[in-house]
Amino acid sequence: MAVEMSMPILVVDDYKTMIRIIRNLLTQIGFENVDEASDGTEAFEKMKKQKYGLVISDWNMEPMTGYELLQRVRADDTTKTVPFIMVTAESKTENVIAAKKAGVNNYIVKPFNAGTLKAKMAAVLGDF
Amino acid sequence: MPAAEVAARVRESLANLKTKDLKDGQVMEVLSLAQQLTDTMQLFFGSLDKSIHSEFVYIADYIARTRTEISKLRPNDIKEQRIPTAGAELEAVVTDTERATETIMAEAEGLLDTKPDDLAAYKAQVDDAMMRIIEACSFQDLSGQRVSKVVESLRHVEKRVSRFAATMGVHDAEADEDEIAEAERKKKLHLNGPALGGPEVKQEAIDEMIASDLDQDAIDSLFD
Repeated sequence: MAVEMSMPILVVDDYKTMIRIIRNLLTQIGFENVDEASDGTEAFEKMKKQKYGLVISDWNMEPMTGYELLQRVRADDTTKTVPFIMVTAESKTENVIAAKKAGVNNYIVKPFNAGTLKAKMAAVLGDF
Repeated sequence: MPAAEVAARVRESLANLKTKDLKDGQVMEVLSLAQQLTDTMQLFFGSLDKSIHSEFVYIADYIARTRTEISKLRPNDIKEQRIPTAGAELEAVVTDTERATETIMAEAEGLLDTKPDDLAAYKAQVDDAMMRIIEACSFQDLSGQRVSKVVESLRHVEKRVSRFAATMGVHDAEADEDEIAEAERKKKLHLNGPALGGPEVKQEAIDEMIASDLDQDAIDSLFD
């Protein structure tokens, strides 16, 4: 199934600059419908109100981390199937394993480039 | 009242009693025993006085030494100068990097939004944007100097605290409840932060882990 380029994507990060970077990269890739949240709590509230085609989330945020957001998303019937990519500086093996066990669809370690983001999105969503 | 003085008074009272014309032999015997007891107790309390005196001298010396060491620690300098200055320098680093990032991002976004209809004008616009980006990168020099000052301050504090701890024979107390709770929360949520020197696990290795079935054997092998 072809990827709908107009699908809404939620970018979650507590650093505005990182949200801006990811938004620019997504725009360059061809995804213009980008929403943002500054932590897991705000992101989950938005996800309960709107259906997103993809969530791209940082890990280390307060008060709700990206890992807790992932767990909550997977535990909720209305959000559990939303594709979820973790983009984080957390690069320990235990982090990757914990994220995978929690149901992450892909994992990008910072710093990253547009090529990596596009490749991981394609791996999750299919080619576009 | 010191023990020696008490003993002297008791002895004096006994002597006074002895000088009186006491007919009762048993009373005289009691007085004699009391005299012996007083002499014995004087020796005991005398040694006790010396021991307590020695303890107080030791405590006074220790307090004096502690005051000297605390003064060498220069806590007011650390509290009023070193730490606030280091904090201000780090805040300046954050501000400088934010300003530079804003400039670089704005220039890059401006170029991305530009349609190169007129190539000469577009080239001039790109050249101007690149110059502003290069100028913005000068923050790195200032930030490097600021961070060096912070590192120097931290080393200074570390040196003084280490010397103080070694001299006073200080051992670390148990962490308080808040610190323990925060450490447990970080462990539970795997909040490790960025690794020094780049990612601890490279993207290629992460890709393999994400693609794997990740059964228990696979997980165990990752920790071998």
